[in-house]
Amino acid sequence: MSTETKPKAELYKRVDALWTTVRDQFAFLRQDPMAFAGMLVVGAFVFLGLFGPYLAPHDPIEHTVRGDGGSVLRLAAPSVDAFFGTTAYGKDVLSQFLAGARPTLIVGLFGGLGTGALGFTVGVVSGYYGGWVDELLMRLTDLTFSLPFMPMALLLLTFMTPNIWLITAIIAAFLWKMPARVVRSEVLSVRERTFVKSARASGASDLRTMLYHVAPNVLPIGFLYTAYGVAWAIAAQASLAFLGFGDPTMTSWGRMLRQVFASGNMRVAWWWVLPPAIGIAAITTSVFLIGRAYEEVINPEIQTDQ
Amino acid sequence: MTKFQRFLLKRLAISVLLTLVAVSVIFVVLRLLPGSPFEALVTSGNLNQEQIDEIRAMYGLDQSIWVQYANYLGSLLTFQFGYSILRSQPVWDVLEPRLINSLILLVPALVTTAILSSLLGMYAGWNRGSRLEKFSIVSTTLLRSTPVFITAIFFIIVFAYNLEIVPALGMRSIRATPDGYIETFASLDFLHHYLLPFAVAVLYYSGDFLLLARNGVVEKRGSEFLKLHRAKGLTEMEQLARAGRNSMLPILTYFTLRLGMIFQGLILLEVVFSWPGIGRELVLAIQQQDYPLVQAAVFIMALAVILANLLADVLYAYFDPTVSTSGGGSA
Repeated sequence: MSTETKPKAELYKRVDALWTTVRDQFAFLRQDPMAFAGMLVVGAFVFLGLFGPYLAPHDPIEHTVRGDGGSVLRLAAPSVDAFFGTTAYGKDVLSQFLAGARPTLIVGLFGGLGTGALGFTVGVVSGYYGGWVDELLMRLTDLTFSLPFMPMALLLLTFMTPNIWLITAIIAAFLWKMPARVVRSEVLSVRERTFVKSARASGASDLRTMLYHVAPNVLPIGFLYTAYGVAWAIAAQASLAFLGFGDPTMTSWGRMLRQVFASGNMRVAWWWVLPPAIGIAAITTSVFLIGRAYEEVINPEIQTDQ
Repeated sequence: MTKFQRFLLKRLAISVLLTLVAVSVIFVVLRLLPGSPFEALVTSGNLNQEQIDEIRAMYGLDQSIWVQYANYLGSLLTFQFGYSILRSQPVWDVLEPRLINSLILLVPALVTTAILSSLLGMYAGWNRGSRLEKFSIVSTTLLRSTPVFITAIFFIIVFAYNLEIVPALGMRSIRATPDGYIETFASLDFLHHYLLPFAVAVLYYSGDFLLLARNGVVEKRGSEFLKLHRAKGLTEMEQLARAGRNSMLPILTYFTLRLGMIFQGLILLEVVFSWPGIGRELVLAIQQQDYPLVQAAVFIMALAVILANLLADVLYAYFDPTVSTSGGGSA
């Protein structure tokens, strides 16, 4: 056996072990009714994000719903012409709702992944090396803690045209601090364990030790915070869109709420308010409920901050 | 110098440095903005070149960027934020009443939620596995993970539009012309407008405190000192009180952190309720490109976060010396 294949075999073994863990977690989540309900909602949401725009009966922005007489239906209550009613501009709410899931999914998924990956890397490196590396990285997280997210994001989006990837990047750039700190404190305790010490004593490189011995042991908490990152990203994106700083080319749930709010039709058009509002509330809550159930598995004594 | 003093000094230095970096970032971002608020004035105001130069000189825009930066730092140190471009008023005169309006909404809400939901959380944690515990966790998870403006919209629809118990918008009724803070806030009309945003804020922040308190008590339940208390014959409630007292530190530090971050959640809350606070003012100022107002508002928000972080770290180190004082603020 060459020296090349050994780490590979080791890697497969680890991936296999990881897969078993994932299956176990899944089985566990099915037992918790709230987490299970959360999973169903997340599943439905992913489906909407992937296929929603194709399911939409009309173009969410271009198409105008017309009644029998040919006149544009404005602020029409749900009917056979438009199942979810129409907006003040005569647009189909159902189509907007279906199409609006996609930007929410994109920002949630990539914002969450970015948050988790960035925070995980910073946390592992910072905790593993300690010393000035740790000091530098932790001061950097302090800095992102000190720059208030909302105002800074609003400022940045004023001088750059908002688009969905920019918003994703801004969210990840501000939110990685949370997983970074938690992962770092986990690494600090893992670092002192015997198998890590023996790995280093037997001459393993820093990178190898970090990758094979430290990282897998803090991976669950990294996943957990990635999941929370998804919920934070969705909430942040919806909030920005509601304030009028969303991607102007895409229909999103946050933007729908902005339009119904800004047009002053919130009082009458409940059919225009409820779909996007319930959509956002359901998805963020579901992710958090799954996270909470999961958190109890990883560490029953863990404390939630932020 | 004791270890604590050294820690304090280091933490202070870091805070000053962070403030400096934060305000520099704000400065750079604002300079990078394309266009300037004066362009609108210039194109619409039929000004001649002389007048334009005069206005630019008045705002110091004719000087080199370094001089502008130095002036900017000086102005922040003295809280002289300059003149609001669109309101033709000193920035502080614009911001001060709005800051008060924001604080009057958020500080009582935060204190209320910290006390009530911590108590509830402790009780829930003590009765682990009970129906109350499950219900309180699910409902506060719903409230804390849902963006605050959505909760606010639901509340407005139910309580303002359908039940018509409270007004949906504003801080005073349109016809009210109060003079001074006491007249503004000490009135039934204000209270009437206050109820809904206050309730939404309390509910929004309740989740974190509840979970923190619950986790703290759950952790303490099995510990030795409680066995001792039980052996001493203390009642359930007395035991809970002792377990609760021992979980106060995370709640206290979290409270300070939240206090520093209130302006952020507040932006959305204020926009939905048309509450004339600093967050809503910031959004308006950004839309109108009123630089001096924007930089002052963001500076105040950043300063609040930095000071609260500092306070939280110091509190933690002071009350719990076993937490590394050498860690330098990453508590």
